[in-house]
Amino acid sequence: MKHGLMFRIIWTCWILTAMQALGFHAAAQVPDEYKVKAVFLFHFAQFVEWPDGSFSTEDDPVVIGVLGEDPFGQYLDEVVSGESIKGHPLQVKRFKRLEDIDTCHILFVHAEGIGHLRAVLKELEPRAMLTVGDNPAFIRAGGMIRFFSEDSRIRLQINPEAARSSGLMISSKLLRLADISIPKS
Amino acid sequence: MWLAPLPIKWKLMAVMLLTSGVVVLLTLAAFLTYEFFTHRKTAVSELSSIGSIVATNSTAALAFDSPQEAEEILSALRAESQIVLAALYDREGNVFSVYPEGASHDELPPVPGEEGYILRAGYLEGFQPVVEGDVHLGTLFIRSNMAKAKERFQLYFVLSAVMAVGALILAFIVSSNLQKRISRPILSLARTAAEVSASRDYSLRAVKENNDEIGSLTDAFNAMLAEMEANIAKHKQAEEEVRSFNQKLEGMVAERTRELEAANRELESFSYSVSHDLRAPLRSIHGYMNIFAEEYGGKLDDEATRLITIIQHNARRMGQLIDDLLSFSRLGRKELMKGTISMEDMVDSIWEELLKEQDGRDIDFTRASLPPAFADSVTMRHVWTNLLSNALKYTGRKTKAIIEVGGHEEGERVLYFVRDNGSGFDMRYYQKLFGVFQRLHSQEEFEGTGVGLAICQRILHRHGGTIWADARPDAGATFYFALPRP
Repeated sequence: MKHGLMFRIIWTCWILTAMQALGFHAAAQVPDEYKVKAVFLFHFAQFVEWPDGSFSTEDDPVVIGVLGEDPFGQYLDEVVSGESIKGHPLQVKRFKRLEDIDTCHILFVHAEGIGHLRAVLKELEPRAMLTVGDNPAFIRAGGMIRFFSEDSRIRLQINPEAARSSGLMISSKLLRLADISIPKS
Repeated sequence: MWLAPLPIKWKLMAVMLLTSGVVVLLTLAAFLTYEFFTHRKTAVSELSSIGSIVATNSTAALAFDSPQEAEEILSALRAESQIVLAALYDREGNVFSVYPEGASHDELPPVPGEEGYILRAGYLEGFQPVVEGDVHLGTLFIRSNMAKAKERFQLYFVLSAVMAVGALILAFIVSSNLQKRISRPILSLARTAAEVSASRDYSLRAVKENNDEIGSLTDAFNAMLAEMEANIAKHKQAEEEVRSFNQKLEGMVAERTRELEAANRELESFSYSVSHDLRAPLRSIHGYMNIFAEEYGGKLDDEATRLITIIQHNARRMGQLIDDLLSFSRLGRKELMKGTISMEDMVDSIWEELLKEQDGRDIDFTRASLPPAFADSVTMRHVWTNLLSNALKYTGRKTKAIIEVGGHEEGERVLYFVRDNGSGFDMRYYQKLFGVFQRLHSQEEFEGTGVGLAICQRILHRHGGTIWADARPDAGATFYFALPRP
């Protein structure tokens, strides 16, 4: 797999270089790192349990939301298309502002600045929503799962306390392969 | 049946051991058969349960791209030694992680196959999808070595055999203790029966141990012994009575015999003294009659002389009778002096003497060789004299007398005879022949007192012998006598 990933990275780099050389618009392409993160966002839906009442019907969609700037482009939509979790289909929603968020189960927060981030997360805390981000201060700011890179792999840092206080249950299988980090409040 | 000659305790043990042995063997056979037929199924279900545990645990590792975690999960398979190879494939079918660590990918199937397990070349292997929720995250491949299952089966077999042997040993110990409860009363009963028959002591009793059938048997046996004891006591008492009665009877007989002997002795001494006392006056009569005949013979007429002759003749005859009676009586008292006697010499000397009184008779006398006898010679001489003089007497009217003497040994006795061709007698009167004063011929025909043969019989009886005769009128008589050999 290591081999496969390296191969994929090299392959992607080569494609990107080729596309740039051929005059493709770079912005339309999603960086490899975010493709992995998009898949992870989808997988979170399998390892997290939401409190009763989070879905009004049996086939209510699991909503994966992106707040603010969207680094995934169409890739996230491709990943979830046709998939379902325990009978719930998956849906991707993009929110410009905090106030736009209506129904959401997993929210990727791409906010700059720790102060702003803390305010946003504070606001979201009472809602049963898995907050995910990749800001280094994301956990400290009150987030639940943070992506970080290590040995050219995407790894996870999780604050299970934050998830529990919002009424979410994170599977032990997920916790086992993550870094557990509970910031002092 | 082969059990038949065994003692009862071994029979009981054999029955118990056979029963428990059959049960143990059937149980083990059932267990092993079941194990044999289900071990493949068991192996599949065990492997699939291990596979599903591993698959369930490895979802997060596949979902969040953590080969390190996957390796850790797979390494848990070390606990299952029969699992020799395992691998996780990701969603795209690429190998994500292998067990054992560093195993060559060449051994793995290049792409994941259909879900399920198959047995191939001593290995059981198969694929298990890795699914979280509804999402297919990858595939688990797992391979198990069936040799381990086979080993386990063999271990079962060995353990079963050990258990069976253990169970039989236990059964042997238990049965050898239990059989005693049944066999001990039987053995004690048998021992008592043997003792009773050996010692004939019917006062023995068997000990009753339980109230079961053997207990009733013991009771019945004891009751039988009691009855036999009573019967034997009765029998002994009856025997005792018979014996004492016999003794009494013998005593009575002995007493009667003594009384009879005494009476007989009295009679004998009476007849002896009577005869003896009669002799003196008779001699007087005879003597004075002779004097009278000599002194006055010439002065008497013929008729008186004839009467005197008759008186003299009768007096002489009476003297003869008294003498014979005395000698008969004497025989009862006289002691016998037994010795070996040459009967030939005795007969010859008697014959010579007797011939002197026979003048001018034509007599043909034959004496065959005679065996010697063991007897009293004085009384034997009397017997021969009597028999030979009888033969001469009763052949007196024959023109030619034929007298024959013979004898021979016959078994335990010696037999002699005297045969003549005289007047003989009628066998109808044989009973009278040996009686005292019993005569078959008149005094006028042949002289005699009728005591001779009675004396002969008495002599032979005292010797333990016998005398008998055989005769026909006018055709002669044969007198036999026999003596016991010493």
